[in-house]
Amino acid sequence: MSEKESIGTEQIEPLTEEETEYDFYFGPAHSGSGNFGVKLRVDGERVVSARADPGYLHRGFEKLMEYRVPMQNAVLSDRLCILEALNWNLVHAEAVDELTGVEVPKRARYIRVLMAELSRLQSHLIWYGVISLALGFDTGFKMAFGYRDYVLDIFEFITGGRVYPAGYICPGGVRRDLPEGYQEKIMNLLGQTQEMMEKIKDFSNIVFARRAKGVGVLKMEDALRLGATGPVLRACGMKTDVRKDDAYEIYDELDFDIPTEKEGDAYARCLIRDKEMEQSIRIVRQILDRMPEGKVREPEKITPPKRVKIPEGEVYVRNEIARGEAAIYMRSVGEGEPYRVKVRGPDFLHMIPVLEHLLQGSQIADVPAIYWSLNICPADMDR
Amino acid sequence: MADAPHRENKVIDEISSKFKVEGKFQRERRIWVATDKESLIALCEFAKGLGFEHLSAISVTDWPGEGTFELTYHLWSYSERILLTIKTKIDRVNPVIDSVVPVWNGSAQIHEREMHELFGVEFEGNQDLAPLFLEDWGGPPPFRKDFDWRDYVREREYDKANERERVYWD
Amino acid sequence: MVKQETKMKRLINAIWIFNWFNSCGFCELVPLVGSRWDMERFGMIITGTPRHADVLFIAGYQTLKSIRRAQIIYEQMPDPKAVIALGACTMSGGMYWDSYNTVKRLTDYIPVNIYIPGCPPRPEAVFEACMKIFHHVGAVPPHGRKFAKSHSG
Repeated sequence: MSEKESIGTEQIEPLTEEETEYDFYFGPAHSGSGNFGVKLRVDGERVVSARADPGYLHRGFEKLMEYRVPMQNAVLSDRLCILEALNWNLVHAEAVDELTGVEVPKRARYIRVLMAELSRLQSHLIWYGVISLALGFDTGFKMAFGYRDYVLDIFEFITGGRVYPAGYICPGGVRRDLPEGYQEKIMNLLGQTQEMMEKIKDFSNIVFARRAKGVGVLKMEDALRLGATGPVLRACGMKTDVRKDDAYEIYDELDFDIPTEKEGDAYARCLIRDKEMEQSIRIVRQILDRMPEGKVREPEKITPPKRVKIPEGEVYVRNEIARGEAAIYMRSVGEGEPYRVKVRGPDFLHMIPVLEHLLQGSQIADVPAIYWSLNICPADMDR
Repeated sequence: MADAPHRENKVIDEISSKFKVEGKFQRERRIWVATDKESLIALCEFAKGLGFEHLSAISVTDWPGEGTFELTYHLWSYSERILLTIKTKIDRVNPVIDSVVPVWNGSAQIHEREMHELFGVEFEGNQDLAPLFLEDWGGPPPFRKDFDWRDYVREREYDKANERERVYWD
Repeated sequence: MVKQETKMKRLINAIWIFNWFNSCGFCELVPLVGSRWDMERFGMIITGTPRHADVLFIAGYQTLKSIRRAQIIYEQMPDPKAVIALGACTMSGGMYWDSYNTVKRLTDYIPVNIYIPGCPPRPEAVFEACMKIFHHVGAVPPHGRKFAKSHSG
């Protein structure tokens, strides 16, 4: 017919009666994360299979660390996952401390945990904002990012940088002591965050319940088989947390709960996120009450990193960051630079095996909700 | 806790009774076991039976002086709360080893795919070893020690004769 | 007869932005949309498609894989257009200067109009750069004829 010729449809092969599947590329320019694409094979509205397409952010971090000494690596380790820089700083600092065998002072340990928990709070606020954007809840997005800026103000007050603290948590302790007046500012911040959660709790629960219940259900045996950790695993019913099972720093002296849910869907992950924010606030209050006096770094003077050598050995350090289990395997042969650093991030497992498994059989309209409920950070995956 | 070292040593003893390994107790909750390539799969299945159901990471270390690749498998047990690391060495010129996908499934598969791309290790039994991060990469496996990044980048990008770029050559 | 430059200056009161944030740009560009550093009061909004955009923000270091997609997006944007590069790593490789997979000289791939240094740049710096676009508009030739000759080759 003549209408077809005018718009050029004769160049596209029409689907026959038997073929109903077609390919569809989701990404990589997302509004809520770095660049990451997923190739979907779709039959009408239903996703038949998914294949992840990573690598847009690959810098080769592990080998970059082999060219630099630990104090330089401390600054580089902020950028392992941009959204929670202080947590990764802590993992790297612990790995070097265990290799050198230094005794980190008590006050430094408390400050490290304080910064790590504030970073966890800030990361969960990003998660809140991003999944609200995906589910069409614009108020939640604006509130979460607005209140997150108060946490970034505290970071700037203590470390000097809003997003990247320039290696504040370094091997041996922290770089400098907390400035005067930090208690009042942090107490204000905690009050503000709780106020935000109270304000939108009522209608946010309704929004998330209606749009995220039953979406992206992950069963416990699949989660264990595919390597899920952190909030994704806790939403399936497993009560585990590296801060309790494999305690590091001073977590064995603090009092906090581990929230779990049973359903394993996107709504369960949202509930866990809210409860974890409350637990982080509880931990920060305990730290402010108990902060001891003393040195903040061992050794106190940072010598130029020319001739300081790391003793020979190998360590495997595990931490609980906001997204799951983070680990570093560091091997040293007695030189100034480490011989091999292997970084294990939680998102490597969440974005490839778990995401491909969850997207199979879902609807196209649910793909953003599933994708953002896993709280992913492509920088952690590609390194 | 009084019996903490006993738990870890018990695990090492149980493994040593069935396999020829070198066990080491590093500290509370960390034990390291070195074995040879042939008994790797049987040891992994035995470890999973003991409760080490979470594969945390698989890593490869390049020892060009010795001519080997050293593989490390880091396993965590939720019930015992112990981290067991299994180390094994393979030849560097022809790096082939059995895949542990039959034991740990999805998480092993993606770790092996990454190690195949970055180091060039062949995992027999892993169906999907397609490139993961790099697109149209024609060079050698990038993380090996004989591929020096600084030389590579300086040759391609920075002109030594140029006043401002000479600093990258120092 | 009104000069072309004056015409352009009168038309541009707001710029529509397409974001290409690779990692690091995300954490300092999304707060710009939020309520504290509200960018909509300056007339800047984020569009979902390059066809509607005036300005391309390249935020964050680029790798060989992602710069190809950025080039496709740049070609899809209609004239007149401008490109803003954000961050130290985008402009010159930054702290990843010895990585085999990052782009060290962005101008080899895409022509850039404004550079914003910083790691990451503060929101105030991003606003100042956007203000400069309005001055820069006088230098952008009409219908992009000059651009087409010197850059698409």
